[in-house]
Amino acid sequence: MAVEELSALEKCLGLKAGKYSSRAQGESQIPVLQTNKGPSLVGLATIASHLVAEAKKEELLGVSAEEKAIVQQWLEYRITRIDRLSSKEDVRNLLKDLNMYLEDKVYMAGNKITLADIIIYYGLHPVIADLSVQEKETCINVSRWFSHIQHFPGVRQHFPSLVFIKNRIYTNIH
Amino acid sequence: MTKEDNKGAAEDQDQAQSKKAMKKQQKEAEKAAKKAEKQAKVASEQQADEGEDFATDRYGVPPMIQSQDKPERALVRVKDLTLQKADEVVWVRARVHTSRAKGKQCFLVLRQQQFNVQALVAVGERASKQMVKFAANITKESIVDVEGVVRKVEQKIESCTQQDVELHIERIYVISAAEPRLPLQLEDAIRPEGEGEEEGRATVNQDTRLDNRVIDLRTATSQAVFGLQSGVCQLFRETLSKKGFVEIQTPKIISAASEGGANVFTVSYFKTSAYLAQSPQLYKQMCICADFEKVFCIGPVFRAEDSNTHRHLTEFVGLDIEMSFNYHYHEVVDVIADTMVQIFKGLQERFQTEIQTVCRQFPSEPFKFLEPTLRLEYREGLAMLREAGVEMGDEEDLSTPNEKLLGRLVKEKYDTDFYILDKYPLAVRPFYTMPDHQDPKYSNSYDMFMRGEEILSGAQRVHDAQLLTERAQHHAIDLEKIKAYIDSFRYGAPPHAGGGIGLERVTMLYLGLHNVRQTSMFPRDPKRLTP
Repeated sequence: MAVEELSALEKCLGLKAGKYSSRAQGESQIPVLQTNKGPSLVGLATIASHLVAEAKKEELLGVSAEEKAIVQQWLEYRITRIDRLSSKEDVRNLLKDLNMYLEDKVYMAGNKITLADIIIYYGLHPVIADLSVQEKETCINVSRWFSHIQHFPGVRQHFPSLVFIKNRIYTNIH
Repeated sequence: MTKEDNKGAAEDQDQAQSKKAMKKQQKEAEKAAKKAEKQAKVASEQQADEGEDFATDRYGVPPMIQSQDKPERALVRVKDLTLQKADEVVWVRARVHTSRAKGKQCFLVLRQQQFNVQALVAVGERASKQMVKFAANITKESIVDVEGVVRKVEQKIESCTQQDVELHIERIYVISAAEPRLPLQLEDAIRPEGEGEEEGRATVNQDTRLDNRVIDLRTATSQAVFGLQSGVCQLFRETLSKKGFVEIQTPKIISAASEGGANVFTVSYFKTSAYLAQSPQLYKQMCICADFEKVFCIGPVFRAEDSNTHRHLTEFVGLDIEMSFNYHYHEVVDVIADTMVQIFKGLQERFQTEIQTVCRQFPSEPFKFLEPTLRLEYREGLAMLREAGVEMGDEEDLSTPNEKLLGRLVKEKYDTDFYILDKYPLAVRPFYTMPDHQDPKYSNSYDMFMRGEEILSGAQRVHDAQLLTERAQHHAIDLEKIKAYIDSFRYGAPPHAGGGIGLERVTMLYLGLHNVRQTSMFPRDPKRLTP
């Protein structure tokens, strides 16, 4: 899964396909990238940051020091929280938190798209695809953000486009 | 130590002990004396009180009513206790909803169905101390006969339905005493949804309610629900009678299942077995063949589906319609839809109090509908669902979540809680459903929905014996068992259509309740046979 994401990211950044392998660590598969020079890189966030540098689009890692820190924080969130969702309860809590965070934001960090948006979009895709119309409306800010990112040029790649209704249909349910 | 010493010491000890014992005895005796004195005092006081009781004939427990007298006494309804009756002396029979004694006064809330009034017994000219005490000791839910004066109150009594007056009791008799411990408290059973949890107060769960249904049915909410339900039946009858329908009664013990054999109850019938009717389907159709033209039927219907959901019962009341038409089955659809609209309108006009009473405990949006009723085709419904991201096959039946979602989408688009879904795929309908003339994949059948849940299922029926036989064979139904049914179409049968509605579901969805058991007086489901 992580390898597919990285190749989607490569395409999104306009890079050539790299050589990936994956290494089992516990229950999860950690992606490994064999670079031309130097040692191989291990881990989703590490490789993703490397690809951004490779494509000379460092602004995707944040411009100011604060933005850089926020991007790092969400990359970590992706790996430690989103990749370890196990129960429906976990999903509900995560979406609730994210929904609150995104209430007054267009992107995860700052006013421009960053690597955090792309990586979290890929990570949440299977979760959001599973939601009912009502659930999508319950976490309306996540839905708005997700819909925006999936339409951002180049980001979606092979991921199926998900449907979001623009009108609220559950407004009168308490 | 010598023996003497020993003895002396022992004596000393004895003496000391006996001294202690004596003191103790003395104290106890004093205590007892005091107690006796107190008791005597209380007794004498009581005696004195009883001696002074001038109101003995104004309260008490009269002999059980065995129809020995027929007094000329007009019992006034609690809902009629208004300002117009101020200063009148009235008799009222009601239940003691709550009582609260405070020194020389005792406040009672007297309840009659969903109405209640504050009543007051105060020591004075008319009532003695003992009478107030008696009134305070009447158990909750006891039935009492009360004579009193209607008095205007300065401040509105917010907790009662009769807010402008209170009743000053002059006589009070217990007609039927309730046991002191009730299995559930009415205040708990009527608390608005969610409110109890915030205040840490008790709420009564569904099963407790149903186990003690007789008491639960006394709540204002239940009274209103079933008052309104009676209204649904009444309006159904009224409307159809005006349209020239005939009410029929059909047998409920039948020889063959009408819609496939899986979900019927089997009963032993002498040496053979029979089934409980899933719907009066076959009989109302036979009435059409017998030239009754327009018939309807209100009666119990049985489903042996082992589903424990918020909207399934194993026995419910079916409102069934069957009608012959001239050229197009939409003639019938229009009649049924108009009947539903007339019911909704009638409820709005005549049962506003009931609707509001229920709304206080179970808040919901007022029921909305369009005139004429919105009719969508199944294909359009599917398109709306697909647009919302639902993946569904063309001939797939609507699942409950999709049904509800479609209801929401329709509400958002057309602002109606009531609509018709027409032209269902033939594959998901019973064998007697008429196929569509253009596309045999579809059928001339329809469902009606309230707040996104199905309440009526209907169709044009096959009135041709030949086609009916084919359809039955296609559904692998034993022709022998439905011979009488098929034969009834051999001697000239008019084209006809109809539908069946669940009374409990209509009431539930009209009021926006969440469980069909709330609108069934004594619900039957796979897990409940009592009360």
